[in-house]
Amino acid sequence: MKARRDVYQAIADPTRRAIIHMIAAQPQNVNAIAEKFDVTRQAISLHVKILTDCGLIVIKQRGRDRFCEAQLDQLGEVANWVAQYRQHWESKLDAMENYLEKLKKERYGKPKK
Amino acid sequence: MESQKSNTQDRELILTRKLNAPIELVWEVWTEPEHIANWWGPNGFTNTISTMDVRAGGAWNLVMHGPDGKDYDNRSIFKEIILHKKIVYEHISYPRILATIDFEAQGDQTLITWHMLFDSAEEFMAVVKAHNAKEGQKQNVEKLAAYLEGLHEQHR
Repeated sequence: MKARRDVYQAIADPTRRAIIHMIAAQPQNVNAIAEKFDVTRQAISLHVKILTDCGLIVIKQRGRDRFCEAQLDQLGEVANWVAQYRQHWESKLDAMENYLEKLKKERYGKPKK
Repeated sequence: MESQKSNTQDRELILTRKLNAPIELVWEVWTEPEHIANWWGPNGFTNTISTMDVRAGGAWNLVMHGPDGKDYDNRSIFKEIILHKKIVYEHISYPRILATIDFEAQGDQTLITWHMLFDSAEEFMAVVKAHNAKEGQKQNVEKLAAYLEGLHEQHR
């Protein structure tokens, strides 16, 4: 059975984020990526596979090399969702602000112009 | 690779807000249960605070009552309290968050900085994902309500 992958899972891991970061500017081949990390080649291959499954990178064969290219559209979606979650906390501050106004009116009468 | 300047960047939220109230009042509204019950929690929620022991090591137990009749248990422990300066608490029910709220007087106003640090990026992403699903659901309910409202109008 194939595990279901999603973009959240992809970016929750620091090594995978570092890989995305590395190839965001320009595609790199898998060996070059593996050299930059202090983990086994197999581990990097697995990360690359997960990122591919999630659609965050595509592999392109160029001659004998396999190049990883970033597909970052989905990350924008995550950023939007984080922004929505942030909004949830902002609304707590809105509520606090409104409550403070109400309390000030009750205690000190009408606000000064 | 990128330096370690902020290795928490992927699991934190930072909010700042300048509140139009003196620091004493802001502090009071934050630290007294009868006040915080009036603004904590999302729109449409009410709160019951059973314990709020504002000192280092003190417990803070709050139940949010959702508009759907569901209760959400929130248990936290205060880690650090500096009068009119700082509140640190750890949310020990899910999701685990270490929250630091800094207060700074600016004349008659107060700047608060609310920093929330999740246990891990995995957990942060899981919460964002769950929140998004919930928002989607809420929007569906709102759409349904608007739709029913429309039907109702038509039948008048």
